Amino acid sequence: MLNTIQVLCSDITTLSLEAKQFASYTEADIISTVEFNQTGELLATGDKGGRVVIFQREPESKNEPNCQGEYNVYSTFQSHEPEFDYLKSLEIEEKINKIRWLPQQNAAHFLLSTNDKTIKLWKVSERDKRPEGYNLKDEEGRLKDLSTVTSLQVPVLKPMDLMVEVSPRRIFANAHTYHVNSISVNSDCETYMSADDLRINLWHLAITDRSFNIVDIKPANMEDLTEVITAAEFHPYHCNLFVYSSSKGTLRLCDMRASALCDKHSKLFEEPEDPSNRSFFSEIISSISDVKFSHSGRYLLTRDYLTVKVWDLNMENKPIETYQVHDYLRSKLCSLYENDCIFDKFECAWNGTDSVIMTGAYNNFFRMFDRNTKRDVTLEASRESSKPRAVLKPRRVCTGGKRRKDDISVDSLDFTKKILHTAWHPAENIIAIAATNNLYIFQDKVNSEVH
Amino acid sequence: MLSRGVKRKLEDDEEIMAAETSGAFDSSSSLPYPQQRQLVLNMCLSKLQSCHMKVEPSLHRSVLLANTLRQIQEEMRQEGGDLLLESPVYPNNSSVTDNTMSSSLCFSSSPSYENDGDEQPVDSRSSDSLFGSFEISNSTSYLTDLALDDIFEDIDTSMYDSSDFSTVMSFPVPRSPVSSSEDTMKSFPTCISPSSNGIQICITDLNDLDHIMEILFFGISQFSLT
Repeated sequence: MLNTIQVLCSDITTLSLEAKQFASYTEADIISTVEFNQTGELLATGDKGGRVVIFQREPESKNEPNCQGEYNVYSTFQSHEPEFDYLKSLEIEEKINKIRWLPQQNAAHFLLSTNDKTIKLWKVSERDKRPEGYNLKDEEGRLKDLSTVTSLQVPVLKPMDLMVEVSPRRIFANAHTYHVNSISVNSDCETYMSADDLRINLWHLAITDRSFNIVDIKPANMEDLTEVITAAEFHPYHCNLFVYSSSKGTLRLCDMRASALCDKHSKLFEEPEDPSNRSFFSEIISSISDVKFSHSGRYLLTRDYLTVKVWDLNMENKPIETYQVHDYLRSKLCSLYENDCIFDKFECAWNGTDSVIMTGAYNNFFRMFDRNTKRDVTLEASRESSKPRAVLKPRRVCTGGKRRKDDISVDSLDFTKKILHTAWHPAENIIAIAATNNLYIFQDKVNSEVH
Repeated sequence: MLSRGVKRKLEDDEEIMAAETSGAFDSSSSLPYPQQRQLVLNMCLSKLQSCHMKVEPSLHRSVLLANTLRQIQEEMRQEGGDLLLESPVYPNNSSVTDNTMSSSLCFSSSPSYENDGDEQPVDSRSSDSLFGSFEISNSTSYLTDLALDDIFEDIDTSMYDSSDFSTVMSFPVPRSPVSSSEDTMKSFPTCISPSSNGIQICITDLNDLDHIMEILFFGISQFSLT
């Protein structure tokens, strides 16, 4: 399978969020989340400046059959603005922490976006017609003096240029004291949850003034605090089940049928620490930065600092698979701790069939692991190597011993270039990689040749 | 220090390989264990301290730092007796003086610290906002109601009595046998260089257990606004 993941780069000039190639970027341009919708037709990114950019996949054109699959900007809007909490004297950043699409139910698309505190529901809809021929209102929309209207005129819909409208539909505020790290839409399509460092709340999508607290791990005394919630997600089709991960490397599966407040988990997934790898940083590197249910709902994928793990919902005492993302960093933990990289939160993703997993690393590298063949590959998202339609070459990090041509040594990895956010198309082998302020979209070569 | 290798040219490659195989790759691994631990401890403290400067620090990060600190703490406590004897060896230029230590102690233990007269606006502002947030939250004001000693009474600090400590320190301190120690310390400037505003948060010995726990407690209690 993995040998077919020779990826093609779509036309990155249309996908780059930079105004100019190699132009300097500001902090606000850094992409902070990437998410495909349920069909894969749309792809949304959020950035530190509070903006959301939606890309749409172009339909196949008759003249150029190879064009299929390119994503172009569909809509851009400002989702969050910097705010100030006067009660607590705190600035609230506009950075978009997560975006989640709602399953499509009519012509419009809906998505949830969140910053540290406030979740917003957005409606994305198209308009290509407008009514013309009103005679009750003047050009500026003001009601005319009705005595001057002498005839009844029925407005008609006239075609116009396609317009994408994005409007805020709900604002879910004031429910989180700590930073929201995850949102997840339930399979019932009516509720969603939002998780912060210490609590998880359950919301109805239509109700903004009320939410139910379903997990609360805040101790009575904050001095006793040793663990925080790092991510949370609903089961893909059992609407009563959800999982949350912690900074101590544990996963807790909760069943909302058991009680209103799920403080008692149904299952606890935890792997005993390997004493041979023990160091000062053991706890920090075991902190889970992301958790994802497989599409089948049978497995869980977790990312910690050095590994990705696949857990079977039916086995709590250890993961069924563990993949090393960049084990060569194990000897450099002290430096990574010093420069704060050890606190980086890498995400992870499943492919459409749950057979391949993907996660990011440093130096603009990202890794893919084939679960069946146990093969893995390191690829690089860079402007140099990803000219449109070029095939990505696997990269190799040299860890002592003989160094081959094109290998890169651990010492020359650039730790400021990190791929934290990645997304995989729900059905096809198309992946989206956020590298600082650039979005790369790679596509399986075989796939595009077939079309 | 990671950036050290970034712009190497081809001819330097052999050098790199040599460094890799000799294991002098990561500076921490060349240090003896107690000093490694001390290094990590110092970084923990300075990171926690810098957390306080932020208006709303990441709770996740603070908890991870605090747990690491606790772990080292516990380890040092368990082997406390031995450690006093083989007290960590520091180069004479480690720039930690009684003065800076006492000022750092002052900083973290009393909100209305007045000392030395050379106070910096930055720090007083941060400590103000810190305590300001407590008032607003209107929750139990831990810091004023509780003596810090009580909170961590399970930790026996008596053996690290300051008088003992000072006698240990008054002996001329021999250079560490690891000749590279000075170099390696240099690569962690956050730990050994005096900070620009004069507050020195470098904690060099068990003597400062109390202080460590204060920082620890301090860092976490910032989040107690419900």
